[in-house]
Parts: sequence; C-alpha cells; structure tokens
Amino acid sequence: MSKAHVRNGEGLSGYFFVLPAVIFMVAFIGYPIIYNFVMSFQKVDIMTLKSATREFIGLANFREIFSAPELAISIGNTVMYTAGCLVIQFVIGFLLAVFFNLGFGFQEKLRGLMTVAWMIPSTVVALLFKFMLSPSSGIINYLLVATGVVKEPIGWLISQKTALWGVIFANSWIGIPFNMILLSTGLTSIPGELYESASIDGASSIRKFTSITVPLLKPAIYSVLVLGFIYTFKVFDLIYVMTNGGPVHATEVLSTYAYKLSFVMYRFSEGAAAANVLFVCLFVVGLGYLKLIREGEEIQS
Amino acid sequence: MKIKRSSLRNAGLDIVGLAVTVCFLFPLYWIFISSLKTNAEIFRVDQTFWPTSVSFVAYVDQLKGELNIVRPFFNSLIIATGSMVLSMCLGIPAAYGLARFELYGKKSIIMSFLVTQMLPPTLILTPLYLIFARFGLINSYLSPVIADSTIAIPFIILFLRTYFIGLPKGLEDAARVDGCSRFGAFARIILPISTPGIVTALSFSFIFAWNDLIYAMTYMNETVMRPMTAGIYNFMSKYGIEWNRIMAYGVVLVLPVVIIFVVLQKYIIGGMTSGAVKG
Repeated sequence: MSKAHVRNGEGLSGYFFVLPAVIFMVAFIGYPIIYNFVMSFQKVDIMTLKSATREFIGLANFREIFSAPELAISIGNTVMYTAGCLVIQFVIGFLLAVFFNLGFGFQEKLRGLMTVAWMIPSTVVALLFKFMLSPSSGIINYLLVATGVVKEPIGWLISQKTALWGVIFANSWIGIPFNMILLSTGLTSIPGELYESASIDGASSIRKFTSITVPLLKPAIYSVLVLGFIYTFKVFDLIYVMTNGGPVHATEVLSTYAYKLSFVMYRFSEGAAAANVLFVCLFVVGLGYLKLIREGEEIQS
Repeated sequence: MKIKRSSLRNAGLDIVGLAVTVCFLFPLYWIFISSLKTNAEIFRVDQTFWPTSVSFVAYVDQLKGELNIVRPFFNSLIIATGSMVLSMCLGIPAAYGLARFELYGKKSIIMSFLVTQMLPPTLILTPLYLIFARFGLINSYLSPVIADSTIAIPFIILFLRTYFIGLPKGLEDAARVDGCSRFGAFARIILPISTPGIVTALSFSFIFAWNDLIYAMTYMNETVMRPMTAGIYNFMSKYGIEWNRIMAYGVVLVLPVVIIFVVLQKYIIGGMTSGAVKG
C-alpha cells in the first residue's frame, strides 16, 4: 500500500468523527441564522408564520422598529447594562484576584468556593435578588435602613430610575467570580522572579503593578472583557424573570425586546430584525475577539 | 521571629479571605434560610438571620397540589440528561477528529464553533420554532434537548479538543500496531484515559440545559411538559410574594448544580478558565 493511500483513508475516517456534529450545527444553527436573516426582510405575522410563500418587503421591518422609541430605549439600556456590569465585575473581580493571590493557606479553597455563583441558574439568581431587593421584606433595604444609609426602603426594581441598577447588581454577582478566576489564572502565570528582580532594583509596589502585572496580564484582561461583553450584552433570562423589561421599558434590553416582538406581539419579522441588530453588535465585538485568539495562537506556535 | 510573623500574616489573610467569601456567598445562605421560614416571619419588621422555628411548610406545599414541582423537576432532569447524551455523542468524536486529523477546512470549522458561542438565543428562536413545528416536536422533550445541545456541542468540542491535543500521540499508534482501527483506538484507549476532561464537558452540558429558560419556555407551552426554569412564571403568578415558597423552589432548582459543583469543583474551574463562554 502506498503512503498516499494510507493518508487518504486516514483523512476520510477523520471526517466520520467530525461530520455528525457539523451537520447538526449547520441544521440547527447555520440554517436558522440564514432563515432569520431572510425573515427580517419579509412580512411575517401570525397568519403567514407557517405559510410557504411570504411577501418580501425590503427594509420595512427595520424602518418600523427603528422608528418606534422602544428600540432606541432597548439599545440604550443594553449599553448601560453592559457597561455597568463590566466595570463592576472587572474592578471587583480584579481586586479579588489580586487578594486571593497574596499567598495564604485557604486562598485556593475560598476562591474556588466563590465560583459557585457563576454556575447558579440565572433564573434563580433573578428570583433571589428580586426577593433581596424588595421594599417590604428585602434584606438589602433592611440593612440599608438599619445602618442609616437610607431613611426609607427603596423600591429598587419598582422605580424606573433604579430598576436597571437592580439588574446590574444581580448580574455582577454572577460575573465577579468569572472575572476573578480568569484573572487569577493570568496572575499565577506571571513568574515570581520578575517581581523579585524588580524589588532588587528598588521598584515600588505600584511600579511593579503597572510595569509587570498589568502588561503581562493583558491577554487575560482582554478575554474577560470580551467574554463578559458577549455574555452580558445578550442577557435574557435574568431580566425576563426579574423585571420582564419593566417598569415601562426601564430595563428593556435588545433580547427581551426581540423576544416580545416575536412571541408576545407575534410580529415575527420585526422580532427577527431586532435580533439581527443584536447579532450585529455581538458580531463586531466577537470578530475582534477571534482576531485576538488568532494572534495568541500564532504567538504560542 | 520571622516564622511567627509570616504565620500571623497568613492567619490574618485567612480570616479576611473567609470574611470576603462569607459576604459574597451570603445570597446563597439567604435563599436557603428563607425557604425554611414561614412567610409571616419573612415579612416581620425585624429580619431574622436564623428562622425562629424551622419550618418545612414551603417544601411540603410544593409536593402536592396542581402546581407541584415533581413533574417540572423530572422534566428538567430528562431535558438536561437528554441534551447531555446528545451533545456527548456528537461532540466527543468531533473534538477528537479536530484534534488528531488533518481535515479540509479545519480552521474554519473551529472558528465557526467559536462564533456560535457568541450568538444570542433570540436569533434562532423563531426559525427553530418553525423547524420543530414542522416535525411535530413542539411540546416534546426533543425540542429543548436539540436547542440546548446547540450550546453544549461547541463547548464540548472546543474544550475537549485542547484536552485531546494534550495527550501523547504514541498511545493510538501503539494500539494501531496491535490491530485496532482508528475508532477502536479512540474508544478503547483515548476515551478511558480522558475521563476527567469528559466528566467536565458532560457536567457543563448538563448544567447548560438544566439552567436554560428561553428555549424550554418557547417550545413547551403545555405546563405539564415545562421544566422548572420555565415554570417559574406560572409559579410566581400563583404565589406572588410568598417568598418562602419561591425560595424553596429556587433551592430545589439550584441543588443539582451545587451538588455537581461540590463533587467536581476542581474540574469545573478548569473548564471555566479554558476560555469557554457561558451559554
């Protein structure tokens, strides 16, 4: 048997391993994405949802959703929510990562324990924080009043002014351990000798932090920020259960708005258009991330 | 003297660390403790940090009546297990294939798996609904099982691929010399030694499906078929602000996840840091 022949056989068996998964993903992800894209240019409502032929109406769906105030509100809220969550999660996650890297007996155990928050279903986190933030029986208002920070309980999720902060607070609780763990892994990979030789040269702790820690941690910082962005920007479960986008769209985000267009108002093609807007935002940031990964792989190899 | 000081520093840091962890995980304590209170106690002006009398009424109530959680619990279990099995059957071989073979378009396949992890579920919600409707799968377990697997499969592939790449290649060559086929070598040599990686991948795919709300809620409109996450809305509209019941519901929903976490903590943290996105 010639060598080429063997390689051919080898190659083919490789496809047998990979193809079932690829076919599954093309059928249930690839095809739906294209379908959704096409649908956003058609007229699809409850009458035409299951019909075979639909009328193409150009950009009418996009014009419709962009002319209604809800889309702008949803985009604004999504951006605020994402920015708020990212800043809180990153700052607290970073501080905790540094703290749990100081070198003490329980550090790994405790750090590990905290990550459980990341695994909890968002639906449960939503119920729990809704309860804790409630004005009549919530522990957070109780503590705030007891310590004299506020005079009267605040209806965090009931008031339009504070509702978005309520959901940001809940989501940050999930995101902090994620940031902490990824940044911790980055920190432990920095060789200790670097700090030692910097100490010998008389560098201050701040100097060591800005010239050793931050630059060497850059890849980890990028990836927590981008992954955090993607995960936060497409939020659905948490907001749906906590506030369902309310009060009066105060916490409406792109995901909940697109969902409501399709499955509450049955304006399927407008829902598809709104979902595409969300997708484009994620895709742009996602592409940046893929580029980063590629660069990382090239450096590695 | 020096040893004493460093052990003092250690103890101090341990205490601070413990305090930070306790504060951070307080919500989990709170959900549990509130589920053991009566609703009257929850609404008392002075909050109690330990129930004055431990009451299981919130749990007992949920085992009976029209909205009992027995059926939703098993629905969740069936969907999560089903999705885990399906993603395992498709994902593990694909991960191996992408780790060990030279394939046409391999890089783009890997990249597109990465991209799928960024997709918002709302993007494919309606098209999947129509596909499932055409095959009569609405209100069957298969629809959330398939939809949830679209999250789990890319995760399994990306996670296990790096795991398989890390295994020495000589292993399969030796098996091949002994007359094993490519698949035989994979099944008999690679799978058994990859148990830690596979267990991590499986627990993640179970948890993705267990935690899912949007797919189950959209593709299961019959209450009896809904898993616990999707049943939350019915439950909340019935019980309103009976927080002890709602917290008990949350505890039951969270329990399997916490058990998996406690048993597999080390592996799960490894999975988190592998650059995977939560679904």
